[in-house]
Amino acid sequence: MTSDSFLDVAGAEKAFGGVTVLGGVDLRVAAGEFISLLGPSGCGKTTLLRIIAGLLAADRGSIRLDGEEIGARPPHRRDVGVVFQNYALFPHLTVAENIAFGLKARKHPAGEIGPTVRRFLSLVHLTDFADRSVRALSGGQQQRVAVARALAVKPKLLLLDEPFSALDRKLRENMQIELRRLLRELGITAVFVTHDQDEALTMSDRIAVMNRGAIEQLAEPATIYRSPATAFVLEFVGLSSRISGTVVGQDYEHVVVDTAYGQLRAPGSFVPGASVVLAVRPERIKVNAPGDYALVARLRDAVFQGSKVQLHFEARDGDHLMVETADLSDGLPAPGTEMRLGWAVADTLIYPAS
Amino acid sequence: MTPKSAPSPWRDPVALLAAPAVLYLLVIYAFPLLWLFMKSLTGPTGFTLQPYVSFLGDPFNWRVVGNTLRVAAWVTVVCFLIGYPAAFALARAGAVLQIVMLVAIILPLSVGAVVKAFAWQIVLRRDGIVSQILVGLGFWDEPQRLLFTETGLVLGAANIFLPFMILPIYSVVKLIDPRLSEAGATLGATPLYRFAHVTLPLTLPGIVSGVAFVFSMSVSMFVIPSLLIGDRFQTLSTLTGRSFLLMRNEQLGSTTAVILLVLAVAIVVGSTWLARRIGGSTT
Repeated sequence: MTSDSFLDVAGAEKAFGGVTVLGGVDLRVAAGEFISLLGPSGCGKTTLLRIIAGLLAADRGSIRLDGEEIGARPPHRRDVGVVFQNYALFPHLTVAENIAFGLKARKHPAGEIGPTVRRFLSLVHLTDFADRSVRALSGGQQQRVAVARALAVKPKLLLLDEPFSALDRKLRENMQIELRRLLRELGITAVFVTHDQDEALTMSDRIAVMNRGAIEQLAEPATIYRSPATAFVLEFVGLSSRISGTVVGQDYEHVVVDTAYGQLRAPGSFVPGASVVLAVRPERIKVNAPGDYALVARLRDAVFQGSKVQLHFEARDGDHLMVETADLSDGLPAPGTEMRLGWAVADTLIYPAS
Repeated sequence: MTPKSAPSPWRDPVALLAAPAVLYLLVIYAFPLLWLFMKSLTGPTGFTLQPYVSFLGDPFNWRVVGNTLRVAAWVTVVCFLIGYPAAFALARAGAVLQIVMLVAIILPLSVGAVVKAFAWQIVLRRDGIVSQILVGLGFWDEPQRLLFTETGLVLGAANIFLPFMILPIYSVVKLIDPRLSEAGATLGATPLYRFAHVTLPLTLPGIVSGVAFVFSMSVSMFVIPSLLIGDRFQTLSTLTGRSFLLMRNEQLGSTTAVILLVLAVAIVVGSTWLARRIGGSTT
């Protein structure tokens, strides 16, 4: 137990009707940190969130928050705020009454409640909406009420369950930046559940990538992206070119792999004969430029995406060759064009084939 | 709110769909009621308030009014206390259990009040099951008769009207997001606070309709008191029945009927208004 972990979840287990949803998860979060739980639906991320909030009882495991064991406490005695996916605003109350709810329930003095509510209304830019019914608000406004309501009681920890999933893309990006700024200003420790990798990469100090009830990797966004710990993390976060092959030998610190495109190398060590997958992030591959490799492939499709262009190449069954590039001075190449792809050995990732 | 005003019924043909109902209610309900009302106000020499004055001047009649309201209030209270939690159990039950419970609640409605009242006569006898249970549990020293008592009447009537309390509340509870109570919990609200400030206000519309149903049905019940408590105990509606059927006194019957109607409507409308005021912005 490290002294600097503010939230410390140890060995959290949960099964529903014999099916394990969470298999002994450990999670340590430092004070003021913003952690994302990222994974596909059914990976157990929402279950973990509900267990931390006390809305669901874990079968086993302990939860310590700010030095206190809270695993056995009911949710109203945990000091853990939650922003729900559908916001769960009280439909019979106004915006201001929603924000005041927790303060009144905690019996704050009446003279304190008014100013606190006004402060949080202005923090989320809803001062003019104080007396509106929450049903008259747009999705983005409702989301801000939900955040203000959860923060007004100054919880030790804020949990967010996919709070942006109902918003359209432009609004979502603005809200992400705004929420991150607000939490940083208030120094709030937050755990954020999402299945959206862009959201996790944009907002988090660290990301816990979850799969089948376990955390596969817990690291900073750049580490998650550049050196995924497992093939699952590689596939779930970001895009990649993937080539399968068989290990034929070891050349100092490089594994030598036999593939359909010749012998390729990757940093690491594997037993000869093992089936592996080599992967490279698409922006690490150079087109028609010198590199450690020069693999010639035929263009299948070029997708213009504004700031960048995605090139998809013909590849063997099970393999996937794609490149992302920003500089194509000659315009989009026509499908069928043969191009030379090159990348550095150091940028090559290698995983056992699943 | 859209600035567009409601379309005129003459331009919106959908409103015409209500025409059969309006016609039916006018002929079968409103006109006879009007006739009843006129009858109570017509003496041998034309218009008179005499029937009302003499009715309200008789202390016996005040007891009748008291009986009527007291029994109706008790039936409503018992139905609410049993029906409110039952509506939650129903709304939160699994799909199969929910259907079973709904059938169990709705099916007995097809058995008429007469049959059920006769069944309650057996249940409420001195050697009936209620008496036996209360003696067995040690609440009573010896078997007692509940039949022909006010308690027996309330018990029997509450059973018969219970579905009309459960169903409207159930339909409202079913629409309440269970996350609202969870949100209240994560904000630091105790279960009791959550109930008082989230669940209760949100179920208020269901409570209001359930109470209105049960109260207006039990304030006007005729068969059930006739069978479960008998002639010694008169309510406005049994008195109305007796006036028309036994005493052949149409004027007394009309008068009691109008008083009953005014009281019932006033109480239902008044309590609805009060509940909405207390419930704040609940719509």
